[in-house]
Amino acid sequence: MRAEAWMFGATTAFFLLVSPAYWFITYDWTGTSALTMTTLLAAMVTLYLGFHAARMDPRPEDLKDAEIADGAGELGFFPPYSWWPLWCALTLGTIVYAVALGAWWLVIIGGALGAIALSGWIFEYYRGEHAH
Amino acid sequence: MSAATTTATGEQQARKSLGQKLVKVITTTDHKVIGKLYLGTSFAWFVAAGVMALLIRAELANPGMQVVNDEFYNQLFTMHGTIMLLLFATPLFFGFGNVIMPLQIGSPDVAFPRLNMFSYWLFLFGGLIAGSGFITPGGAASFGWFAYTPLSDAIRSPGIGGDLWVMGLWMAGLGTILGAVNFITTIICMRAPGMTMFRMPIFVWNTMITSLLVLIAFPILAGALLSLEADRLLGAHVFDPSHGGPILWQHLFWFFGHPEVYIIALPFFGIVTEILPVFSRKPIFGYIGLVGATLGIAILSAAVWAHHMFVTGAVNLPFFSGMTFLIAVPTGVKFFNWIGTMWGGSLRMDTPMLWSVGFLTTFLFGGLTGIILASPPLDFAVSDSYFVVAHFHSVVFGTVVFAMFAGFYFWWPKMTGRMLDERLGKLHFWMLFVGFHTTFLVQHWLGVQGMPRRIADYLPDDGFTFLNQVSSVGAFLLGLSMVPFLYNVYISRRSKLVAVDDPWGWGRSLEWATSSPPPRHNFVSIPRIRSESPAFDLHHPEIAAIELEQNEAEREGRLADAPDVEGREDLLSERTDTEGENR
Amino acid sequence: MGQQLKRRPRPALRRAAVVALLGAFLFLAGCSAETRQEWENLAMPDPASDQAEHIFYLWRYAWIAALITGGIVWGLILFVVVRFRRRSDDEIPVQTRYNLPLEIFYTIAPILMVVVLFYHTVNVQNAVLEDTDQDYTIEVVGQQWSWTFNHVLDGKDEGPVVYTYGTGSVIPTLVLPVGKTIEFRLNSPDVVHSFGMTGFLMRMDVIPGRENSYEVTPDTEGEYRGKCYELCGTYHSRMMFNVEVVSEDEYLAYLDELEAKGNYSEEPLLGGNYVNDPVGLEEFEEEGQ
Repeated sequence: MRAEAWMFGATTAFFLLVSPAYWFITYDWTGTSALTMTTLLAAMVTLYLGFHAARMDPRPEDLKDAEIADGAGELGFFPPYSWWPLWCALTLGTIVYAVALGAWWLVIIGGALGAIALSGWIFEYYRGEHAH
Repeated sequence: MSAATTTATGEQQARKSLGQKLVKVITTTDHKVIGKLYLGTSFAWFVAAGVMALLIRAELANPGMQVVNDEFYNQLFTMHGTIMLLLFATPLFFGFGNVIMPLQIGSPDVAFPRLNMFSYWLFLFGGLIAGSGFITPGGAASFGWFAYTPLSDAIRSPGIGGDLWVMGLWMAGLGTILGAVNFITTIICMRAPGMTMFRMPIFVWNTMITSLLVLIAFPILAGALLSLEADRLLGAHVFDPSHGGPILWQHLFWFFGHPEVYIIALPFFGIVTEILPVFSRKPIFGYIGLVGATLGIAILSAAVWAHHMFVTGAVNLPFFSGMTFLIAVPTGVKFFNWIGTMWGGSLRMDTPMLWSVGFLTTFLFGGLTGIILASPPLDFAVSDSYFVVAHFHSVVFGTVVFAMFAGFYFWWPKMTGRMLDERLGKLHFWMLFVGFHTTFLVQHWLGVQGMPRRIADYLPDDGFTFLNQVSSVGAFLLGLSMVPFLYNVYISRRSKLVAVDDPWGWGRSLEWATSSPPPRHNFVSIPRIRSESPAFDLHHPEIAAIELEQNEAEREGRLADAPDVEGREDLLSERTDTEGENR
Repeated sequence: MGQQLKRRPRPALRRAAVVALLGAFLFLAGCSAETRQEWENLAMPDPASDQAEHIFYLWRYAWIAALITGGIVWGLILFVVVRFRRRSDDEIPVQTRYNLPLEIFYTIAPILMVVVLFYHTVNVQNAVLEDTDQDYTIEVVGQQWSWTFNHVLDGKDEGPVVYTYGTGSVIPTLVLPVGKTIEFRLNSPDVVHSFGMTGFLMRMDVIPGRENSYEVTPDTEGEYRGKCYELCGTYHSRMMFNVEVVSEDEYLAYLDELEAKGNYSEEPLLGGNYVNDPVGLEEFEEEGQ
């Protein structure tokens, strides 16, 4: 994970240099704000990865001499299929379409259905046969 | 390795009905299926926007309005640009990234499979909403794909097509952002054991760096779009001319817009980087240089945006022109690394290679005109003319379309299990190559002569007529070149299954170490990873051993522009000792 | 390997032939003396002002550098494709992965080239954008979809003007005095336009809410064309004007003509109020959108 942290670190360093340089050269609020937010974004990821890299043992994919068998066992949970992305996208699409049309009643309906769809997605693997 | 839960995958049992197949696709969480959905849908948008381009070229062939009226013409080029950049090229990146990246890093899927499918739906529905402007009475958005205010505000563009454009793109942009999150997480967290960062294929590096750029650029677009919609719908005054609104919009838009063109370029550079070594029978030249150059291009691209605003008189010219000149340097480094890969190799112009060399040829000219445009005094002379149109088509079409077809021909067997026909592929290439250059080379000339961009018509005595006619002929040839491709796709449905992991014979990265097409979770077994070419080390250990012999600094682990190969020598000698035993 | 029938010999030569054909076709496209001049200029119209001379000079040298660079790189690509084509199926070439000295060279060389280009760019830019004591001021208004030219009288930079303007069916003419420095002040009451004229090799955006400006010192009498270079709505392509560069005396006579016609105003016609209060806003707000 250290290599990844360094990559984001290089990005942060670049923007740390460019953002103040841009401000003092141009005094442009818009560009400086955008560049500053970019710096903060890169810094956030750098700190997160760096923090974890320092506090954890190297993972098999960080080790140059790892064997494939080192990664044996359960890799994670991969939903085999799901309807919920479609429902959530349809409800968000309804909201978006309604905003474009200025049809606020449809925004509300879309919002309500969207809340249901989102809950369905979040709780998909905590309900029914997956309940625990 | 297996997923914690699997449903019964008994496709072998009964032939599924169309309805069952459809359900399987729309509820999929398999990155390979999602990737194909992205590829197919983006290609459909490509064809739609291509038809719009043909209408534009048909109109411009002669002075006078023969095909469409002024307003519809403006809708055509607005939607052509919007679709090509945001509904074709950007989702195409997600298509290739989804199909190939998890295979190349040895992971069973992406980090967030349902989010992956959700991102696809956001692209599909957002795109349809944006394009649905065409079926409204006022027509689609007609204010140009950069939607400069005040032209794009509610007074100057009152039609609902504009609102649909704004909100549809917001939704599609959200899908892009979520897709980027997925890719970065997958690449950081789900690589196979031994696949260190400096053993990843360059395509994966480019996917990750592009996703970082998406996170930098797209939220700004999303914010700007919502602000514009607030102005249009709610009577907000964000972009009012009385307080610098037009320039504010331009800054916000281009802070997104410039990284966007690198977002659509970098993944396709990655595709070409994968193809050249396979058909040159040599490893990629200057691996770390390529990684560094790609990262350099990405971070610089966030600091050059106002080179689109040189003629506004509102931006600092030396800062932006200096940064823009600088970005040419890493791009040049990549170019020389690509040539270095081919240098001294054993080249055969199979279709993926032909497309890649076509990309190199075309992109080079676009890059050179880009350097010209980076100089403000020269930009003053040709800004907003057909010179700029010719420039960006050379770089964008040259990169995205050429590398797209290169990627299609290269990875078709991996995606479908069958090869595309070579002869049809070469016919496709030559028709497109000639058509493209006929269309766009003359546009440089037109632009310098003074033909503005985005004009529906010109005067007969402007002197633009002949070159416009040449350009239009080229455009129709370009359009025709899609026919051999589509026919190729059609007939390959029934061609022989390749039945091997690596039909090209010299594949290097991990996707060539699994079946064509791969199983549901990608690998039944993964070979030991001790370099950036694990499949090559598996299939050709003797040749990989030759490589180590010939590259001293790499072998001894000293400072070298090479990936991380610690332990590779031992692995290869093990494999060459056990001759005839594949792993 | 890929499915294919008999391989055609020497694809690289075929490619070269296609390129040559294309080049010949384009060349044959026009062979008059005028066209030859165009080729010499690389399509750029003859510079017609002091500032344009600087731009033209940079254009030429930048293109020479670009074409040399391009020629070298295309040459390398073509060479590689021909020289290293596969000669037998079991060929295994030398597996060179890197060459640090070479890589460092082709990182530093482009940096140096770019630094040189930047230096010349800054010089030309300063020459072109130099704010001198102009002889005449013209307040230009770009509106949807024509132009208004307010010539400030008596060589002042502010004050009473005479004006001329275009309409949907009349293309206006901008008359300029040769050998004098004219400052164009660009204004828009509605959307972004761009004010550019062939021959002066320069254009600048016309942005509502701010005044952009640039100076031109025409050095050749003649007729030129002006167009709008920024999408400004439905009739963007129709927003044209003619430019006539004449002697100073003729110019002053022209101004007198305009004054006699009654096209006189104490203040320039800028449509400026409409920036903050766009036309149609009241009806728009009434309808409740």
